[in-house]
Amino acid sequence: MKFVRYAFCLASALFVLSAPFFLERGTLNDLWNLALAVTLASAWNILGGFAGQVSLGYSAFLGIGAYTTALLSLRGVDPFLTLPLAAVLAALFSVAIGLPAFRLRGPYFTIATIGVGEAVRVCAASVSFTGGSSGLRMPAGSFDFNHNYFSMMILAILTIALAAYVKKSAFGRALAAIRQDIDAAEALGINSTRFKLAAHALSAAVVAVAGSLYAINFQYIAPGSVFDFQLSLNIVLMPIIGGVGTLVGPVLGALIVSTLQIKLLSMPMLRDSFLFIYGGLLIFLMLFEPKGVMGIRDRVIAFFRRIARPRTGSADAA
Amino acid sequence: MRSTLMQQFVSVALNSLLAAGLYATMAYGLAVIYGVMRIINLAHAGVMMLGAYVTYALFTRFAIDPFLGLVIVAPLFFLFGVLLYKLFGRRMAAPGNAPSIESLLLLFGVWLVLQNTAYVIWTGDTQSILTSYTLKSMEIAGVRVGLPSVFVFLASVASLVFLNVLLKRTYLGKAIRAVTQNRDAALLSGVNADRISAIAFGIGTAFAGIAGAMLSSLMAFTPDFGRSFLLKSFCIIVLGGMESVTGVAAGALVLAILENGLAAYTSVPTSLQDAVSFALLFVALVVLPRGLPGLLAVFERRRAAQ
Repeated sequence: MKFVRYAFCLASALFVLSAPFFLERGTLNDLWNLALAVTLASAWNILGGFAGQVSLGYSAFLGIGAYTTALLSLRGVDPFLTLPLAAVLAALFSVAIGLPAFRLRGPYFTIATIGVGEAVRVCAASVSFTGGSSGLRMPAGSFDFNHNYFSMMILAILTIALAAYVKKSAFGRALAAIRQDIDAAEALGINSTRFKLAAHALSAAVVAVAGSLYAINFQYIAPGSVFDFQLSLNIVLMPIIGGVGTLVGPVLGALIVSTLQIKLLSMPMLRDSFLFIYGGLLIFLMLFEPKGVMGIRDRVIAFFRRIARPRTGSADAA
Repeated sequence: MRSTLMQQFVSVALNSLLAAGLYATMAYGLAVIYGVMRIINLAHAGVMMLGAYVTYALFTRFAIDPFLGLVIVAPLFFLFGVLLYKLFGRRMAAPGNAPSIESLLLLFGVWLVLQNTAYVIWTGDTQSILTSYTLKSMEIAGVRVGLPSVFVFLASVASLVFLNVLLKRTYLGKAIRAVTQNRDAALLSGVNADRISAIAFGIGTAFAGIAGAMLSSLMAFTPDFGRSFLLKSFCIIVLGGMESVTGVAAGALVLAILENGLAAYTSVPTSLQDAVSFALLFVALVVLPRGLPGLLAVFERRRAAQ
């Protein structure tokens, strides 16, 4: 079973990396968007899923990454060289936000992050060096889609691998302990603030790099696109739809949401019902299955196990 | 020179007071629901937006004045709130004393659905209500203020006074306060907490609708409208200590003074004004988790210790 899983992962990685040789540009574009979604969802899941700290302010990190890259490229730096700096800046910002915000628990933390995300957007739209609300255009001549495609794919693969590593490590187990019962975790000697800060910084750095690649690929960024609240919302929705705290869940959720988006955009009739679908899904899942698609899968498996096994329970007891 | 300073001060104070009335109304809707059910109603923003659009519909279809429309809007949204509670309420009530992430996300979903409903019915275009008095102004203590903001203030005060009487003088009010203070104890003494929660959710939703209706007479709106007001309301109830009417009023006044003061006395651009309240929300959550009443209690204890 484990072998099948590894083989499947390897096959999908090989497929997306070799896709440019046999797929056309439009499909590759869709794949790029999918990989972005997978990256964002998996990165958010490190803090939101593993540690259970639901943040609605992740567009701030994407925006920091995108603006770092755009501002430096406009001053003549090679865009791909700005990625490490974007990651470091976002990580530092995440610590600055996290230090006070992690004193808050559960929904209070969530509300505080909405405030941070909105404050950052408003600031980016009104200070002058970011180009205000009209945004920034990347310097001409820095565009090569093949580069962008491969870097996005590699980032997505690395993010999934990172999430898998974190989940298995002692660090991931500490995060799980914090999610399940923060007081018990503290009693066991886990410095919850430090672990939450580390998880926040790690996922913020990944999201910032994704933001840099976003700026490089779209060539134009504005507060309304990279700092948008809708974006923060999407980042949260994907793991929730797929299954918070699992490895496969965010990937699944990202695939579902992006496919929906691509399909809906091609159907003029349904183009205006994004929010119905998002909102409806959210209401449905929270009412009936807060663990998302993965939770539904577990239920189905449990159901079939119950049917497959003959009723020996009473005989055993007797 | 002195008189202009004085004039400016009076103007800031008056504008703060007028804004605080509206802020208190919209924040109170959030506070009553939080108090009784321990949930943060993210759908509040959607309800405010809907309140604005219903007022707009009443105004354009039936030529009903926005402020007269409140008589229709308030009961309508009360019923809407009770309906929402009946649909989702039992799943929303948190088991412990802290709100659950699930309820937060559920109500977020409701907000999105409301937004899309408004898009479908009224499209995404910016709408506004232009009455005969929208652009008129009057003079109070030497300061010119817009007539609609005066009406909004009066309507806010009226609804808050009504609410205070309801809470202080009736059985329903006592029951709401009892459930807010201690749900289990209220249940033990025979209060039907489920029914009280439904009514409280209705009252909270009605106040959001009223706030939305009043906002519609002050500014233009789109289906996306309401998010910054949700954050402001939240900031206010955090400052006000989450539960009491007086606390909410104090929180509203603090936010309004801060916004108007910054606009008048510093060179912070108006586009950054919203960032001020978001930052204040963050600071208040972190530094004053129990709000201004908590801060007062700390001072009180210090004085007692001396």
